[in-house]
Amino acid sequence: MIDDPDWLDVLAGELRLRGLPEDQVTRVLGETRAHLWDAGEDPARAFGTPSAYAAAVHESLGTPPIPARRKVVRAEAPRLQATGIGKRHGRHRLLHDVDLTVHAGEVAAIVGANGCGKSTFLRICAGVERAHAGRVVVRGSIGYCPQGGGTSDFLTPDEHFVLVGAGRGLGRDRSRGAGRALAEHLWWPRPAPIAAARLSGGTRQKLEVILTALGDPDVLLLDEPYQGFDRDSYMYFWDRVREWANEGRAIVVVTHLLDRLERADTVVDLTPSPHAAPGVRGRHHPKGTQPR
Amino acid sequence: MNAERHSQWLRGVLDLCVLSLLADGESYGYRLAQALEAAGLGTIRGGTLYPVLLRLERDGLISSRWGVGDAGPARKYYRSTPLGEGELRAAADEWSVFAARVGTMLEGVRQ
Repeated sequence: MIDDPDWLDVLAGELRLRGLPEDQVTRVLGETRAHLWDAGEDPARAFGTPSAYAAAVHESLGTPPIPARRKVVRAEAPRLQATGIGKRHGRHRLLHDVDLTVHAGEVAAIVGANGCGKSTFLRICAGVERAHAGRVVVRGSIGYCPQGGGTSDFLTPDEHFVLVGAGRGLGRDRSRGAGRALAEHLWWPRPAPIAAARLSGGTRQKLEVILTALGDPDVLLLDEPYQGFDRDSYMYFWDRVREWANEGRAIVVVTHLLDRLERADTVVDLTPSPHAAPGVRGRHHPKGTQPR
Repeated sequence: MNAERHSQWLRGVLDLCVLSLLADGESYGYRLAQALEAAGLGTIRGGTLYPVLLRLERDGLISSRWGVGDAGPARKYYRSTPLGEGELRAAADEWSVFAARVGTMLEGVRQ
């Protein structure tokens, strides 16, 4: 049997049993399936028993030997520090006393029900909207990706790269090179020279993310930036977020998809609590205590 | 050839062989297995090869991306990182010293 679904299912179970995060499981299964497809081999012959292979994979993915970086950057002042943020819409209290601290090398996720103020909070962090209470301190440059509207219908992807790159002090060639490299990382190999209006929704959204990251800003603020992405692109987006953090950036992602919270160092849930006094929000979950 | 000994030898150098293949350009697991076999190292099972790739990637010596070919499912393509290239160069020197020493010791007994 070439593509033995039972064997792969058992492998998936064994990998989960060993605590592999779901995206890792997906990747290992994808690679294993591709190998079996190419080799036309019996899985047990090529990989041995599912449990033995899962054990080998688990061991190989163990903690990398050099993760000391976080301790070093921890000593530095945070890149983004929002304290006591409050926002009213008329008499309605949208945000009340929300805190968020993000250091270089960290990823923060802003979660919560629709309409609870996630985007507003991000806009306040980005400095494009004023809060009624609290203060935001940002150390370094900001890249802010709003929900849509950051691209022009009439410009090609390359033209966008050059235009936005110029605004961040990059020359023409460097802008284009950086934009295309980012595109490749987001599963968009060769941006065609067509106007942005003709790009698919997901591809146009990738363009927004690329423009945000162009010129390597210190703080990245991303508002549900993966809308319209296919599954692979979505997986790649989160890989990229991790990479950016590893390169020393501070990242805040507004997300309603909870399956990637294990990728976040901090989770801020803005959903109003039924037990809290009206308008009391902004519970802060340090890593490890976050709700699943 | 003694299969047990062969597989033990291979275990010590498979990561270097993979790094050396990836120094020539991007590739994916199955193609690497074929190249290793073509180089005379015998059949490398998936269960042996992929953990090596995962370890190299974990240690930052290679990086990966998913790509789609002409047919079949998406494949994970690997390429060497600058760190991996440095490691390969250093290990290649060490290996030639080591292999020469073993060779000298075994020289006298060869028929």
